[in-house]
Amino acid sequence: MMKSLSLRNNLVGYTFISPFVIGFLIFTLIPAAASLYFSFTDYDLLSAPNWIGLENYTSMFTSDDRYMQSLKVTMLYVFLGVPLRLIFALFVAMILNTTSKAVGLYRTVYYLPSIIGGSVAVSIMWRNLFGDQGVINVMLNSIGIDSVRWFGDPNAALFMLVTLSVWQFGSSMLIFLAGLKNIPTELYEASGVDGAGFFTKFFRITLPMLTPIILFNLIMQLISAFMTFVPAYIISKGEGGPLDGTLLYSLYLFRQAFVFFDMGYASAMAWVMLIIVGVLTAAVFATSKLWVHYETEGGR
Amino acid sequence: MILKKFKWPIYHIFVGLLAIVMVYPVIWLLMSSFKPSNLIFTTSSSLIPDPWIWSNYVTGWIGSSGQSFMSFITNSLKIVIFSTIGAVLSSAFIAFGFARLQFKGRAIWFAVMMVTLMLPHDVVLVPQYIMFSKLGWIGTISPIVVPQYFGVPFFIFLMVQFIRTIPREMDEAATIDGVGKFGLFLRIILPLIIPALATASIFSFYWRWEDLMGPLLYLNKPSSYTVSLGLKMFLDSESVSNWGAMFAMSIVSLIPVLGVFFLFQRYIVEGISTSGLK
Amino acid sequence: MKKQAKKVVLALMASALMLATACGSNAGTNSETGTNAGTNSGGGDKPITLRMAWWGSEARHEYTKKVIDLYKTKNPNVTIEVEYANYDDYWKKIAPQAAANELPDIMQIDTGYYAQYAGKGQLADLTPYFGKEIDVTNISENALNGGKLGDGVFGMNLGVNSLGFQYDPATLAKAGIDSIPENWSWDDYLSIAAKAKENGIYIDGGMRAEVFFGYYLRTVGKKLYNDAGNGLGYEDDQLFVDFFGKLADLVKSGAAPTPDTLAQIKGVEDDMTVKGTQVGVWQWSNQFVALQQAVNRPMEIAPMLNPGAKEGLYLKPSMFFSISKNSKAKEEAAKFINFFVNDAEANKLILGERGVPVSSVIKEELKPLLSPEQVQVFDYVAWSEANSSPMDPVDPIGAIEVFASLKSLTEQLNYGQISAEDAAKKFRSEAENVLKKNK
Repeated sequence: MMKSLSLRNNLVGYTFISPFVIGFLIFTLIPAAASLYFSFTDYDLLSAPNWIGLENYTSMFTSDDRYMQSLKVTMLYVFLGVPLRLIFALFVAMILNTTSKAVGLYRTVYYLPSIIGGSVAVSIMWRNLFGDQGVINVMLNSIGIDSVRWFGDPNAALFMLVTLSVWQFGSSMLIFLAGLKNIPTELYEASGVDGAGFFTKFFRITLPMLTPIILFNLIMQLISAFMTFVPAYIISKGEGGPLDGTLLYSLYLFRQAFVFFDMGYASAMAWVMLIIVGVLTAAVFATSKLWVHYETEGGR
Repeated sequence: MILKKFKWPIYHIFVGLLAIVMVYPVIWLLMSSFKPSNLIFTTSSSLIPDPWIWSNYVTGWIGSSGQSFMSFITNSLKIVIFSTIGAVLSSAFIAFGFARLQFKGRAIWFAVMMVTLMLPHDVVLVPQYIMFSKLGWIGTISPIVVPQYFGVPFFIFLMVQFIRTIPREMDEAATIDGVGKFGLFLRIILPLIIPALATASIFSFYWRWEDLMGPLLYLNKPSSYTVSLGLKMFLDSESVSNWGAMFAMSIVSLIPVLGVFFLFQRYIVEGISTSGLK
Repeated sequence: MKKQAKKVVLALMASALMLATACGSNAGTNSETGTNAGTNSGGGDKPITLRMAWWGSEARHEYTKKVIDLYKTKNPNVTIEVEYANYDDYWKKIAPQAAANELPDIMQIDTGYYAQYAGKGQLADLTPYFGKEIDVTNISENALNGGKLGDGVFGMNLGVNSLGFQYDPATLAKAGIDSIPENWSWDDYLSIAAKAKENGIYIDGGMRAEVFFGYYLRTVGKKLYNDAGNGLGYEDDQLFVDFFGKLADLVKSGAAPTPDTLAQIKGVEDDMTVKGTQVGVWQWSNQFVALQQAVNRPMEIAPMLNPGAKEGLYLKPSMFFSISKNSKAKEEAAKFINFFVNDAEANKLILGERGVPVSSVIKEELKPLLSPEQVQVFDYVAWSEANSSPMDPVDPIGAIEVFASLKSLTEQLNYGQISAEDAAKKFRSEAENVLKKNK
């Protein structure tokens, strides 16, 4: 009896996730296995790969300064950009989560930057804003600060990238908004904080109820920040300058793979990245037991 | 009460000002599309075009080397709509399995799904290309669209998180009424995660719309090129580029995405809170 | 609640409907081209389909398609399917095709990637076709050998380029200089730069490191790469110090723009020469027309710097057409390349857009049809032919990575972050590290 029940459960469970399992086996597993194999070879896309053992992995950490630079830049970008972006997104989602008539317009306007995305137009626009005569410098000058050479200083250039990522916070905002809307209003009534002030409501109901969504956004933003490629590519004309200041990991990986034809090395880089991001994500998941509140688990 | 009266203007001033900052670059883009190509950069610090011209829209719409911009839009729509339907529906289906069902290996498969997000796409791109070429899919939209029907991890995870915020009492009530798992998914859960479905639809639409790599690799015939490819046709690093047309068509290409946003954001706004959860 | 679900389903269905109509209209155009392919009633030759790929501007796409149409009217049995993109995207598109053995029959290759693709056996040797499918009677040995790698020629040279200083005489006058002296030397150049700087005008936008360092080495009888392509072709790091030290001094003194100023330039239209704040640009002759159009004032081309300009200057293929090794219709592909290079009618459409034609006959035929700025380019290339030395062997595999290293080091040098001596040493070790793989 018990056995047939669990068999049934497994059957139903796998039926539901079968599209993913099948898709994974066909479209992801084989190519991923191939890239793992390439990472131990000198594969150059144009001729057959030769096995070279761990050479790609060792040279990454021993003889490639630029690799270490890209790792450093990426870490900075992630740990600066992700919190800023999430806080800003949550903040905006909160202020837009009202019933004002103008809110539809605001919502669109705030989302607009995120849908012009990584196009060439954005790159032109962004380079213009931060240019020597751009609006940013004009504004800095007007409050008595000297112009910043955004394209000449590696740190300033990285900061420019971070600003771009914060500016395009729309996707996180939208998810927060949807999350906020998913909190049943009855909960506010039921827990008797209806008459209470904003902050009480926020910390007693809104924030705990939103934690699954915060977890989601945190993890996805973390992963996607590590993978960030387009902004760095378009702002530095694909080279990661100035002085490798915007040489994000993915950009360097791309250059190794498709500009220098060193797919073996690029594959090795990818697997190192996978381990780094995987460990970080697992760590976030591990802590989530402490702070994420799931309605399903009945904790209230 | 008095406080409230004061609050609203302050709210609008604040939100409005921030909105202007956010949208300034977009306005710059819009205004540049009305400038002659050769003046876009030399007059980049002034917003108002002088002279104001419409011809960028005309030349842009005519398109590039025999392909009208309309054909780029149609091609993109075809890919985007097929992809979005597949991505959203399959992801919801899979998400229900992960969020609500108990089965052996669930945690492992969930972890596998998360890991697939962490492998940079550039290194699987070549093996994937070889595979699709063996399947004879090169030159068709299949390599871009078909995988979407097997679930998109981002959306699956998103919907899992949403389903987990739904109280389980809902399920129990339905199960007592004799509804099976499929019924539970279709009739109870799906309507409750409409905000997540709408969010996923908006994202999926936009991501496919702006995707450059897929169309670049898999579409060969210029008559099947998409908007993302079409926009880049206006530019060439070796010769004079048609910046004006590129800006104008960038603006035009925003319209479908904005339209979808308008269409679907209502479902996010309305949410489920108003629809009477017991 | 249910109502809402219905609405979503309705919205999805509506979009599916939209899609169906979109597909319908598309299918219509597809079948149209399909019948076109079907009605090749030709002279009994069996139908052949070739794939052809190139990068470039809208104008290039347009006239290339016209050339293909023209070819089709003369060879109704041949259908050519085209694929094109802009330069950056093109290489992304081609690389996976190479990995999958799916390269187009005819593809455009540039000198930077040439060794990579030819050296790794992706391209077919064209020498068997020379004198047969490809008529080479009017093409000089020198031009043909532009694509020589080892014993083979894996790319048909489509046009030749020459290096020079393309400048705006009006800005030069504004900078307080009457004219550029004939046979100008490095000293002339440096003093002109200094004078222009006094008047607040940049002399140029810098010299692209790999191109002009290569030139400089040639003027002193050296090469950037050794003949085997597995190491550098010069031993004395002082040459590096001399060349890049001079350029870095120009940047430091403000006579040439800093790298961050250059990084903000978005395209030709945005070039400082166009804005009149820079005298000119050091670059290849095929870029002259675009620059001239953007500047929209009369421009001139000045020759390279002395001493050793004649030894240093060389004519370089602007780009190649290659046939992929796995092409099943190599002869047909070669015939088309021949048409592209030797047919007068076709070249009246091309009008030298891919570089000054290699065929002497075609060059003459085109002369009356050219725009004034194209005439300038043709004339400068003709002058260069008489005042240059043969080109070095094509850049070896890995050259792109060497360039990247050189570019990064010169950037550091221009920012004053590294001394010229250290940069020279570092370049040697990085470059040899890459090149030693070419055993």
